[in-house]
Amino acid sequence: MKITAPISTPAEVEPLVRAGARELYCGVVPPDWIQRFNTSGVNRRVFGNLNGYADLERVVEKAHALDADVFLVLNAQQYGEQHLDALTEIGARFRSIGGNAAIVADISLIASLAANVPDLAIHVSSVATCRNVESARFFAGLGASRIILPRDVTVAEISAITTELPELEIEAFVLNDGCVFEEGTCHTVHLPMNKGGPICIDNYQFEYQSAGGGQPHERALRRLEQNDLDYKRWLWYRFGNGFSVAPNGYPWGPCGTCAMPAMHAAGVHSVKIAGREGASERKIKSVELVAQVLRRIEAGESEEKVREFAVGLRGAPGHCASGYMCYYPEVRSRAVVGEVEAKVEVPA
Amino acid sequence: MTIPQSTPTLPAPPGPIELGFALVDERELAAFARHDRLTRDDYLDQLGDARDCVSLPENAEPTHFFLGSEFCEHLLPSVESIDRAVALCERWGLTFGLVTPIACDGLFEPLRAALARLPAGSEVTINDWGVARLVQREFPDLRPVAGRLLGKMLKDPRLPSATWARMYPNGLRAGPFREILDGLGIGRLELDFPPFGAADMYAGIDFPVGVRAPYGYIAKGRICKLGSLSLDTPEKFSPGHKCRRECLGFSEVGARPGTHELHTSQRGNTMYYRHAAGMATAVAEAVANGWVSRIVLSGA
Repeated sequence: MKITAPISTPAEVEPLVRAGARELYCGVVPPDWIQRFNTSGVNRRVFGNLNGYADLERVVEKAHALDADVFLVLNAQQYGEQHLDALTEIGARFRSIGGNAAIVADISLIASLAANVPDLAIHVSSVATCRNVESARFFAGLGASRIILPRDVTVAEISAITTELPELEIEAFVLNDGCVFEEGTCHTVHLPMNKGGPICIDNYQFEYQSAGGGQPHERALRRLEQNDLDYKRWLWYRFGNGFSVAPNGYPWGPCGTCAMPAMHAAGVHSVKIAGREGASERKIKSVELVAQVLRRIEAGESEEKVREFAVGLRGAPGHCASGYMCYYPEVRSRAVVGEVEAKVEVPA
Repeated sequence: MTIPQSTPTLPAPPGPIELGFALVDERELAAFARHDRLTRDDYLDQLGDARDCVSLPENAEPTHFFLGSEFCEHLLPSVESIDRAVALCERWGLTFGLVTPIACDGLFEPLRAALARLPAGSEVTINDWGVARLVQREFPDLRPVAGRLLGKMLKDPRLPSATWARMYPNGLRAGPFREILDGLGIGRLELDFPPFGAADMYAGIDFPVGVRAPYGYIAKGRICKLGSLSLDTPEKFSPGHKCRRECLGFSEVGARPGTHELHTSQRGNTMYYRHAAGMATAVAEAVANGWVSRIVLSGA
């Protein structure tokens, strides 16, 4: 099982590979793109991209010298038909400098790359929301060699796909940057924070209504409000425990390290660390954290021991006990994190 | 609040427009069952106050009736409800359609059972490429329609201007998209009408286009706040658990303070915007010009 890590500058290649990443993914905004299309939307993120082709070449060269692969994100949810040729050209250019795979969500672009750049591997982005065997077969039929599963799948669902389709590489999230909505069905942009930020943490003031109209009865309303408090706490975890890091520098927030033994046993090819837009230090600490867990799995440690180690890595098992910091909460072991939910203060 | 008795109308489009109603809560079939035939007002009445946000041509009368959810695997109707809806559609002389969501593997067997109840020629609104393969391979007598989760476009009601909306244009006219849909036997698109949408935004698409009105969806998750209501605290907000369908009992409505944006709501795992008057007019213009050939009325 390999660790797939995000980069946004050539300088990040070496420390991330040295930390344990064998696969790197990045985005690039070619200099002529904005002039041609009056948008910087080459991929899902406006920020966190390499500066241009020269940087992309440096990344590929450095990574290959360290025996790591490089993937290019062309993963906008959708592209206009006017973009397809230009994106296919980017894919061809990336392949010509030795790039290994494109990460793509849009089915038209997948088809175009498969037809025109056949030696560039295609990884189906998590943005494509492919989370069943038949859907994976559909994308394989278009030419994909890897499926990056979306967030919010269970380990059992992952295992069903790897078992049924052993010829496909499967990549699953393991750390950082939890979305609230599914990426492939969230048709919004992350606005600048002064305009609201991501819609899932924007300042909407909602009131409950009963299906028949009017407010819910008082008892129901109390339950709904208690559920809202739990949800607010879950959101805090979903967004990196208030966008913070542990005292030892490891990132808080969505984590699937406890599930890595099960994913390894299921034949998952790669585990994905999210966060192209993050700081270099956060990326490096993220890879270090996951790599420590992977090394123990590869050394043959028992699942329980690995989980115990993973839970102890940040020195705050109470957060793990909450159940809200997990990508795969169903594998959360009460024997490891404790039967009683930890009381963790969540700032308002 | 009083429900108006009439809805703004426009001149009839070049051809007859199709009019559908999409029902998510199978329990509400009972209320429909009392009708010997359905009229446009029966459909519009289901929308409550939101009927004011729809403009229909004068001659629009029901042609289709849909049951099921695009957004949640827990809301697949029972086979008993499907049988009942199919029987009602036969009585009303309407085409029945089953609406299906993005699926996990565990949904495929219930889906097979549901699809097996549909008479030939029924529509299946598909929102998952795997489900599209299933229908094509095992249910070739059914007519698949690409649902609005497959017709990707920017629909953020908070965008400050139309310029922002152009950042990620839709790919509905792309050649490969058309070929892939053709290859799956999909012959129709169902779409939302987005904020900042223009009347002609669906002109020239190679498929007949239906538009959901008066609500469009903004975002949908697999994690469901309301669906976690009955779960123990550490188990909440995770996939793969059972659901008591609380979203059929409650929704949330509101806005961002200090804004005059589209009316927004959330039901279960999905956020919606409601069409403003200008959007309803634009959809009506698209219908009048033949760019949209079907309106599917649905709630939020």
